[in-house]
Amino acid sequence: MTTQLQIINQLFEIQSKINALSEANNFERNFNRLFSIFEEEGFTMQDPTNETYSEARTDCEANIVGQAASNMKITKTIKPIIYKKVDGNLQLVQKAVVMVEKK
Amino acid sequence: MKAVNVGIDLGTTNSLIAKYEHNKVRVYKNPIGQKETLASVVAYRTDRILVGDKAREYLTKDAVNVFGGFKRKMGTDEKYYVVNIDENVTPVELSALVLNELKNFEQSAEPLEACVITVPASFDSMQSNATLKAGQAAGFKEVFLLQEPIAASLAFFNASEKVQTDGYWLVYDFGGGTFDVALVKSTAEDLKVIDHEGNNFLGGMDLDFAIINKIIVPQIIQQTGIENFEEAFREKYGQYEMLYYQVMYYAEEAKKELSNAKATVIDFSATLNGKNYDFYFTITKEQVDEIFLPIINDTIKLIHTIIENNKLTAADIHQIILVGGSTFLPQVREQLCLQTGISINFSIDPTNSIAVGAAYYAANKYYEPAVVESVISNEAIGTDLLASIDFNTINIELDISYNRSSRDTEEVLLMACSGQYENSFYRITRLDGGFDTGFINLKAKKTEFLPLLPASTNMFALQVYDEQKNIIKSLSKEINIAQGIYNIDGQPMPHDICIEIDDLENKTTKLEVIFERNSLLPQKRTLYREISKTITKGAKESIIINILEGDRNSRASSNLTIGCIEISGKNLQSDLIKGSDIEIQIEVNDSRVMNTTVYLVMTQQEFKNVFSVSEKQINITRLQEQFLQLENELTDTIRGFQYNEDKIWEIKCDTLLQDLHSMKTTLFKLKEKDKSDEKYIIAERMTRISQEADKLGGNERIALLLEEYLHFKETVLEAINMADFIKDELRKDYQKIEATENATLKSKSVSVIENKLKQMDDLYWKALSNTNSFLIQRFIEYKGYDANYFKDYSAAKSIFKMADAVLEQEKYPEFRRHIFSLSSLLIRANHNYNIDFKGTGIG
Repeated sequence: MTTQLQIINQLFEIQSKINALSEANNFERNFNRLFSIFEEEGFTMQDPTNETYSEARTDCEANIVGQAASNMKITKTIKPIIYKKVDGNLQLVQKAVVMVEKK
Repeated sequence: MKAVNVGIDLGTTNSLIAKYEHNKVRVYKNPIGQKETLASVVAYRTDRILVGDKAREYLTKDAVNVFGGFKRKMGTDEKYYVVNIDENVTPVELSALVLNELKNFEQSAEPLEACVITVPASFDSMQSNATLKAGQAAGFKEVFLLQEPIAASLAFFNASEKVQTDGYWLVYDFGGGTFDVALVKSTAEDLKVIDHEGNNFLGGMDLDFAIINKIIVPQIIQQTGIENFEEAFREKYGQYEMLYYQVMYYAEEAKKELSNAKATVIDFSATLNGKNYDFYFTITKEQVDEIFLPIINDTIKLIHTIIENNKLTAADIHQIILVGGSTFLPQVREQLCLQTGISINFSIDPTNSIAVGAAYYAANKYYEPAVVESVISNEAIGTDLLASIDFNTINIELDISYNRSSRDTEEVLLMACSGQYENSFYRITRLDGGFDTGFINLKAKKTEFLPLLPASTNMFALQVYDEQKNIIKSLSKEINIAQGIYNIDGQPMPHDICIEIDDLENKTTKLEVIFERNSLLPQKRTLYREISKTITKGAKESIIINILEGDRNSRASSNLTIGCIEISGKNLQSDLIKGSDIEIQIEVNDSRVMNTTVYLVMTQQEFKNVFSVSEKQINITRLQEQFLQLENELTDTIRGFQYNEDKIWEIKCDTLLQDLHSMKTTLFKLKEKDKSDEKYIIAERMTRISQEADKLGGNERIALLLEEYLHFKETVLEAINMADFIKDELRKDYQKIEATENATLKSKSVSVIENKLKQMDDLYWKALSNTNSFLIQRFIEYKGYDANYFKDYSAAKSIFKMADAVLEQEKYPEFRRHIFSLSSLLIRANHNYNIDFKGTGIG
C-alpha cells in the first residue's frame, strides 16, 4: 500500500505544480484518469485546501502559521488526505500535511 | 489471579500500548489514524480536551493551554496553570490523560484493569511513584513499573531464538527528542540496569534541524539573495513561518529517504517577499553524514563514559541493542560499530520495542481482577425485573437527534442531557479515523457539527466518560449518517444504471455498473475503457455506448436500454485503433435527464448526447446480437435441465425459446432507420423472456445453484492450494470473489448466482493452468492429438521437443510457457453462434 500512497502523493504534487501554469487545463483529463485508476483500487484522494480547519479534523496534520484561532482555514496542502475502501467502508490511510491560517 | 498482559511505554515524546496474547505481542493502533504511537501531549482547548497528535499541533501556538514533555517533571511539585479552565494541572494528571487515551486503543468490551508502565532508568523513587499514581488515576486497579532498558532487552531476548544471556549489554535509545544509554547485566534468571547516561535535549529532531540549517537555508539564501534571511526565518510568527514548517517536513522526508538512497532531491515552491521561487536541489548521503556526525558523536561519547565509569572494555559488552526511531539511520549504526568496536543488534523494531518488552513482562505479572457483576441483556430480563433494578449509579440521560441521511457536507447532532452530568464528558469519533472531537464537557443542551464523507455511510461513535475519563458504556451510542446515498428529500435511483461492454473471451457482452441502485440524484461519473475493435475512418462498423437500467448482475437483455450512442467509422476523423482509450462521462440530473459525453482519446473527438429516461433508445444491430445471446443462453439452460433430468423446467424453458424464435425473422429484417414500433415491441418481449428465464425453477433452482456454488468453492480452494505458480495472485482473486459473496447468496437471482459460478469456474481453470501435474496431464493429451487438431503441426512438434527437454530438467516455468504456446496452436471447436460477434466495441 505504501507504494500506491507514494505514487498518489507524487501525482498530487505534479498536479499542484501544473495547476500553477497557464496550460493546466490540458492535463485535467489525464489527472482525472489517473486518480480514477486509483479509485478503482479503492483509494480516494482528497485535497483539503481552502476547507475550514478545526481541531476535530483528525484527517490532517496541521502546521499552524501565525496565531491559533477558532476560525481557521487550510491554506496549503503538502500531502493530500487518502482514504481506502476496506470491506465497503472508508478507512483513513494517510493524513494530509497542511498549513493552517486564521481566516 | 489473572495475567496483566498489557504493557505501556509512557514516553516523553510518544507513548505506545501493547498486549501479550496467544503467545505473541500485539502493539495496538490508535483507532483514529491507525498509528501505533500517541503523542504525549495534552491540549486544553476552549471547550474540549485533546490528547495526542492533534494536541501537539497547538504545542508552540498555545503554550498556556497545551502541555508536552511533562514526563520530565514527574515526581516534582511543578504545576501547570491552564488559562482556559482557570485551574492548575499536575504532571501526574496529564500523564493519566495520556494513559487513558492509550486505554481507548483497545476497542474490545473487556476493560483494561492492570498494566505494566515503563519508566526511564534514571527515574528516582518519587518519579516512579508519580508514574504509579498516574496509572491509578487512569483507572488501572493494578500498576507495575519496569525500567525502559529492561523492557527493550526483554523484547530483544524474546525475539532471538539463540542468544547468550549472561553478560553485559548496552541499550542505545535514540528517540525523536531524547537520548538514553543504559548498561544492562543479564544472567539466566535476572536482568538488571547497572548504569545509565542520557541527554534530554538530543534526538532525531536535531538531525532534521541540521539539514535545515546546514543545507536548506544556505541554498535558499544563495538562490534568493535575501538579506538577514536566516534570522528572519527563525523568528516566531515571522514572515517565513509557513516556509519554516514546509522546510521541516521536507527535511524529515529527506532524512528518511537517505536511509535507503545515496541521494535525494528537495523540490518545493514558495513565495518570498512577493516573488515566486522554485527550489530544486540534490542532497547526498555524504553531505548529511558530515553534518550528522557531531550529533552522533555526542551519543557515542556517552557510551564511552558509561563503559569507562563501570571499568569495563568494549570486549565485555555482547551487543548494543538499538531502540528509538533515529536508529533507523545507517550512519548511526555504522558509527556505533566503527567507534565502539561492539556489534550492534537491530533485530527488533526500535519504535515499539519498549512497549513490546513491557507486554512480555506483563505476561508474567498477575493481579486479582475486580468481581464482575453478572451482566444480563435487556432482552433476557422481563420488564418488571428491569423496572425493579436501581440504575442510580449512572444518573445521566442522554438523548440525541440527527438526520440519518444528508446531502450536505456536515450534519448537526443535537444532544439533550439530564441528571448528574456535570464533570462528565462526551467524545465523538468518526470510525474511518478522520474526525475526533476530543473530550468535551456534557451540558444540558449541546450541538455538534459532524463532517461527512461524500457518497458513503458515515459511522460515528458517541462515548460518554466520567470525571476520571472512564468510559460509561451504557451511554454509548452509534450514529450512522448516509451522505448522498439515500435521502427522503432527494430522488434515489430505483435501479442500477449500467453500461454494456464486450466480453470478447466468451463472445458476449456483460454489464458494468455505473451508478448503484439507491444512489442519490444527481450523479456524475467518468468511465475509462479501451476500444475492443479497430474501426477505420469511413467504415460502416461502429462502437455502441449502450446504457441500461435494471439489475447489474443480470444479462443486458433483461434490462431496459435508456440511452444509446452509436459512433460509426463515418463519424471518425481518423482510424480508431483497437486498444485506444475511450472516456465516457455520464451525468444524471435531479430530473433523471442523462447527459453522456464520449471522448475518443486517439482521434481527440468528443460526442455529446442528452437522453431523457422517458424515451427509449434502441439500436437494431445491438438488439439482434442480444437476441442471439439470449437464444444461446436459453439453449444452454435447456441442455443443463436435460442433463439434470428436470423435465418440467426443460419444457418451460423450451416454451420461452420458441417464443423468442417467433420474432427472429421480423427482427433480422428490421433496418436501423425503421420508424415503426416493431423494434420497441421486440425489445420489450425479449426483456420479458429474459426475466422469465431467470425465474425458471423458482426457489428450488436457486437452492440447487447455491449448493453447487458452495461445493465448487471448496474445489476451487483446493485447486489454488495445489497450484505451483502465482499462488498469492490466485488467493487474492479468490478473496475478491468471496468478498461479494454475501450479496450473491442473498440475491435469490439465478443470473447473479450463475455469474458467480462463472467467476469461480474461470478461477478454477486459472489455478489448474498454474499447476504442474495438470500441465503435464495436458501435455500428454496434446501429444496424443492428430495433426489436424493443430493450426501448425510442425510448430507444435518442435514445441513438444522443447517441452520434453525442460520437463526432464524440471524447469517448470519454461514448461508452462510451452504448454500455453501449444494451447494457442490448437484449433478450437467454435460454437456456430457468435462467430461474427460485433459487440459494443468497448472492452
